[in-house]
Amino acid sequence: MSVVNIARPVRYLCVAAVLAVASLWVAGAGTATPSGAAVTGGAPAPGTTPGATSGCTQTKESLRPMGALPAPGAMPRGSTMAAIAGRGRLIAGVDQGKYLVGYRNPMTGDLQGSDIDIVRQIAAAIFGDPNRVQFVVLDVADRAGAIERGQVDVVVNTFTVTCDRQQHVDFSTAYLAAAQRVLVPINSKVTEIEGLTGAQVCTSVGSTTEQVLRALPIGLHVVSLPGIPDCMVEFQRGRVAAVSSDDVILAGLAAQDPQTKVIGRPLAHALYAVGMKHDATDFVRFVNAVLERARSDGSLAHSDQRWLGVLDPVPQPAPARYRD
Amino acid sequence: MSASVLPPSGAALNTVELLRRVVRTFPAGLTTPERLRRVAAVLVVGCVVTAVVSVLAGAARANAVRDSGTRIAALSADAAELYQSLADADATATRGYVSGGLEPTAVRAHYDEDIARAADRVVHAANGLPGGDPAAAQVSTIASQLQTYTGLMETARAYNREGRPLGQAYLSNASRLMSTSILPAVEQLRQGQKAALATAYQRGGTVPFAVLLLGIAVLGGVIDHAVLEQRRTNKILNTGLLAAGLALVAALLWWVVAVIVAGNHLDAARRHSDVAIALDDSRTAVLLARSNESLVLVARSGGESSDQSFTTQMHRVAGWGGDDGLLADAVHSVPASAPEIQSIRTALEKWWAAHRHVRELDDGGQYLQAVASVTGTDPTSSNAAFEHLDAVVHKAIVAERGTFTVEDSRAGSALTGLTVGPAVLTSLAAAAVIIGIGRRVGEYR
Repeated sequence: MSVVNIARPVRYLCVAAVLAVASLWVAGAGTATPSGAAVTGGAPAPGTTPGATSGCTQTKESLRPMGALPAPGAMPRGSTMAAIAGRGRLIAGVDQGKYLVGYRNPMTGDLQGSDIDIVRQIAAAIFGDPNRVQFVVLDVADRAGAIERGQVDVVVNTFTVTCDRQQHVDFSTAYLAAAQRVLVPINSKVTEIEGLTGAQVCTSVGSTTEQVLRALPIGLHVVSLPGIPDCMVEFQRGRVAAVSSDDVILAGLAAQDPQTKVIGRPLAHALYAVGMKHDATDFVRFVNAVLERARSDGSLAHSDQRWLGVLDPVPQPAPARYRD
Repeated sequence: MSASVLPPSGAALNTVELLRRVVRTFPAGLTTPERLRRVAAVLVVGCVVTAVVSVLAGAARANAVRDSGTRIAALSADAAELYQSLADADATATRGYVSGGLEPTAVRAHYDEDIARAADRVVHAANGLPGGDPAAAQVSTIASQLQTYTGLMETARAYNREGRPLGQAYLSNASRLMSTSILPAVEQLRQGQKAALATAYQRGGTVPFAVLLLGIAVLGGVIDHAVLEQRRTNKILNTGLLAAGLALVAALLWWVVAVIVAGNHLDAARRHSDVAIALDDSRTAVLLARSNESLVLVARSGGESSDQSFTTQMHRVAGWGGDDGLLADAVHSVPASAPEIQSIRTALEKWWAAHRHVRELDDGGQYLQAVASVTGTDPTSSNAAFEHLDAVVHKAIVAERGTFTVEDSRAGSALTGLTVGPAVLTSLAAAAVIIGIGRRVGEYR
């Protein structure tokens, strides 16, 4: 006990040093700096290809009207029209971006165009008032689905009669004949679709025009977006070389942008008709009677002249054909 | 072939063995004054190491708190305001469109203010980022895409003025860019700063084990040596060693008190910051809900499914009926905020009711009346109810941020002197050890 002990303080310090280093190490591991890896949202998913065709090619004609139209406000009891009348308004699936055909006038906020005129004719026939309409804007790919779900009574939205669609919805007689063509910049040297081999061509998802483009064996890169106006934005920003759709729709685009032109032969012919619920035969016959009256009193031709007068020649109302 | 390579555990064992031998032979065969000098050397080294670690730990804490209070908190606020300005700008542009006709001057001015504020926040955030921060990539994404966004919006306006519906395609394109690309980038920036703030608080508030352990060990060594010496020599306690012990105790107490006081303020700051973040999230959610309200009307797509996003955002804020949701979280963090949260809840319910009325109008075919409620200034309109809600939430956010700043700066002042004070005391202890043991050595001459 007579010797100064040096080992003891050294031990104290060694133990403390080991523990201190350990505590620093533990704290360091616990406070790893957060990393903020940049992952920006991707572009909207590109459109999918339309459903495979079932192999049917022959479209059916529509049903003949039964006698004269009932007076507005006096729909036959128990009919589809009476149910609509009871609700107080017609629910119509339309587009609001197709200039001249079905579009929202930014000045007034109202929907107008040749398709909208037909909706108003149907509403007037049921209610005696063309404004008893609730418009629902549908994506091109959702037109048949909205009818099947019962979300809308009618679709009047450049809806082409096809055999496939007739499996799910019923069509009225055709009210307008259209032809698929191509919109390119005004200084383009391209005169036919073949000149766009290898280029990006845009159209709307789930449309008949998309099927036509994809079937062409000339190496097009088909881009499909929810609506034709979306294609036009991409076109004006130089991301696609051309937009393909029906002539009446392209005429609306060309009217909004004078730096464009419509070219080429018709790639396909289309007949536009009013889409309705499958097997609602009374309503189909009723709408056909409305269209019949519009053909005979000249209001359909007048509407086409008013909206589509920029086209040369102005499309004529399609003649009615019935399967009876 | 492996004989020349020792396995790592063998190497570690050898190091321990070597240290043991040094410790065992260190005191061997020396005279008492030499041994005393060596003890003094060991204790002085201990004091100096403790002082150095104290300086480092104190500086780290002070920096963490300063960082949290100024840089990170500012960035976090920038990101929140940026998000709100952008979401509001988009909702405003959409509302201007849905109202039909020429965009009202007030709506246009509101949009311009939002964009100007957003640009301002982007520049501010970019200045606040240290070089090489991963958030820089997000800020640059936001800055470049904001250019594209405003470009698309101006094209939309030009077409609207001409009465062309193509304007709407540009509008929805811009909105899509905002919601799928710009806002997610801002949200990431915000989440990154939120995490950085949490880390800074953790650094500022942890128990300083390293300093305390070293300090206690040196103190133990000093006491142990003093007691042994007193027993060995039967003299009164060495005053130098006594002074050293007291200085070490004072240094340790300084640390403990500073950490406890700062910890309390940091905790309060963190809770108020949590409230501010919950309120930021709430404001963001209601802005998104409002944007959805307008978009549903613009798209005219009607029905339950398109209104779903509105309902989801509102439930995020108000909860799903139980004690959940962002507002409940805020009250959990700071119970004293309950009255202010209650006023937000009331305003939220009012707007929700007005919104339900809008949906009833639209789903009932009264589209124009629905539009009027969303764009109008009538006190019962959805628009007026929203403006009130937004003002109430904004006021609460500003108040919480203010309290946060106060608490944070109090935590900062509690840490004042922590870098230098205990280190000076520990150095004084070293000096006292030298003087105290030096006197004992002198007695052997």
